[in-house]
Amino acid sequence: MKKIAIDQFSELVKVLAERGPLYAPVKGKEGVNFQAIKNPADVTLDFYNTVLSPKSVFFPQSEDMIRYRITHGATEAQPVPQESRPAVILGVRPCDVRSFEIMDRHFLGAGVIDPYWKSKRDNTTVIGFAFDVSAAADPADFYNTFGYGAADPEGSDVFMVRTDKALLLKSMTDRGKKLLDSLGFLQVAGAQDEKVFEETVKKGKAVRTRSAEINPQVIAKKLVSVFDNGEFWQKVTMACIACGACTYGCPTCYCFDISDEMLFKEGSRKRFWDACTFTDFTLEASGHNPRPRIFQRYRQKVCHKYSYHVDKYGCISCVGCGRCTRVCPVNIDIFSIVDEANKL
Amino acid sequence: MTAFKKIEDHLRKEAKNLLEGGKVTLVLAYARGFDEKHPVPCVVKAAADADHLVFNEYCTYNMARYLTRYPVGTKIAVAVKGADSRAVVQLIQEGKVRRDDLVILGIPATGMKNQKTGEVIDAKTTASTINPVLYDVLLGDEIHGVKAGSPYDVLAEFEGMDKDARWAFWKKEFERCIRCYACRKACPMCYCDPCFMDASRPRWADKSPTDDGTLMYHLTRFYHLAGRCIDCGECSRACPVDIPLHLFHKKVAKECEAMFGQAAGMNIEDKPAMANFKGEDSDQMLG
Repeated sequence: MKKIAIDQFSELVKVLAERGPLYAPVKGKEGVNFQAIKNPADVTLDFYNTVLSPKSVFFPQSEDMIRYRITHGATEAQPVPQESRPAVILGVRPCDVRSFEIMDRHFLGAGVIDPYWKSKRDNTTVIGFAFDVSAAADPADFYNTFGYGAADPEGSDVFMVRTDKALLLKSMTDRGKKLLDSLGFLQVAGAQDEKVFEETVKKGKAVRTRSAEINPQVIAKKLVSVFDNGEFWQKVTMACIACGACTYGCPTCYCFDISDEMLFKEGSRKRFWDACTFTDFTLEASGHNPRPRIFQRYRQKVCHKYSYHVDKYGCISCVGCGRCTRVCPVNIDIFSIVDEANKL
Repeated sequence: MTAFKKIEDHLRKEAKNLLEGGKVTLVLAYARGFDEKHPVPCVVKAAADADHLVFNEYCTYNMARYLTRYPVGTKIAVAVKGADSRAVVQLIQEGKVRRDDLVILGIPATGMKNQKTGEVIDAKTTASTINPVLYDVLLGDEIHGVKAGSPYDVLAEFEGMDKDARWAFWKKEFERCIRCYACRKACPMCYCDPCFMDASRPRWADKSPTDDGTLMYHLTRFYHLAGRCIDCGECSRACPVDIPLHLFHKKVAKECEAMFGQAAGMNIEDKPAMANFKGEDSDQMLG
């Protein structure tokens, strides 16, 4: 294990940012969010969790796949080369780290490998960051439901714990070890630091978020059985205004749309985030929409995450980070809805 | 100080009576969310459920937003605060809802708070419209004697900027936009179906979140709400990345009021400013 004094932190950021793309939390007007770092002084470690999830590092909101030009009736098209430089994402909370594994199942394990996700994921070292284990969890969080603790190092390449004066950095994978070994200016942590690290992980297990007994296999079947209970779905989604805030904030929502957009003779084929709550999400070319009503679309959201995803990939597509509830303009709370459905 | 508890009791009682008496089939108001600080908009259809209704300083939602969801002829009781009542008036003026279908439960309230920050939002939004402009039943007592400035006071800083600074200001704000469309969906006056942003033939703006498309979206929305925005501030509160959309709407509202002599949704006898022609209308826009 390695460590670095808090007042030297900007040194670490500087070196990482010089080596290749570094994504880290930056304070903006809206709160803290992950950004590609240009100025090391921008990075902050003083935040609870980012407003939007870190998924945009591997799955940007908008991404060009092909660029094309139309000349004399012919089209020249070039696939957009994928990023191949090694990158680092620093400061990911433990529950969010788990979201990457869930997204991997979809983008890498569905029989077709998604090259856009893969190139970025393969080249990026994840530095996880423990929540402050002496503070209470945000009331919207419910990551305990999935058995996650506030300082679980699993899933990170390097896991970072903040103490009064230092940051402890422990490598969890070979990739993480390689990164730490390459940073010669880090100090070697002592036995006392190891103890603090272990104690933090343990204390993290005792940080309580909202929690419910939700067994993936059971809830998957349950939701199918209540699918036709229109009264229930209408009641719990009445307030939904059908915006995309929850989806865009979510670390495990992966639906995207594709569109060719061009100006004069040049354009690109892009993929960009889409949301199942949008009116036109399932609008067909004929004009027919199989999910014209808001409750049908929100039901799709819940069932996809807690039922269909379990059937297809063996796990629930939610990590309990609480973002969807926090960013919802009308406080719709997926945790309460699933908990209520579970008890029907 | 607003007597929130008293209003809540009154709201429950009124909702119960209206539903029991068959005067309305549904009541649009507020209920407890996952905790007290996070209420949710709710619809009550049975008198027995009226006890679930709540009212506290975090009930910022403009419930008029939900009115256009129901077919004309549905008898609805709707709880509205000052600015929210202006939305009801504006919707009636625009022929989207019928006065006869509504029982308006007016709530005079000051000290409403932003759920995220706890900050009192009165000055930013409803300002001088503390008492509902139209109601059938008043829950609580009208509030008078509160020193509230003009709703346009918050524009001072913005109006102090020159053209270039304003352009730079909005460009920077819109950089954060993630196109979740929470602003249009939270807006009681945004009821176009389909919204021009969802049209694909022709496509008026990029569907992907490009800077140009984002500008097209917001500017079109700002101008489509000219003379219609009733200053409830829902757009800014709904925004997950805190873009101060209400500032632009206020600026347009101020210009409209100066040019056409009326503020949106203040008087049920008015015709919508943009759908009316008066001999004395300002020619300023023609240069």
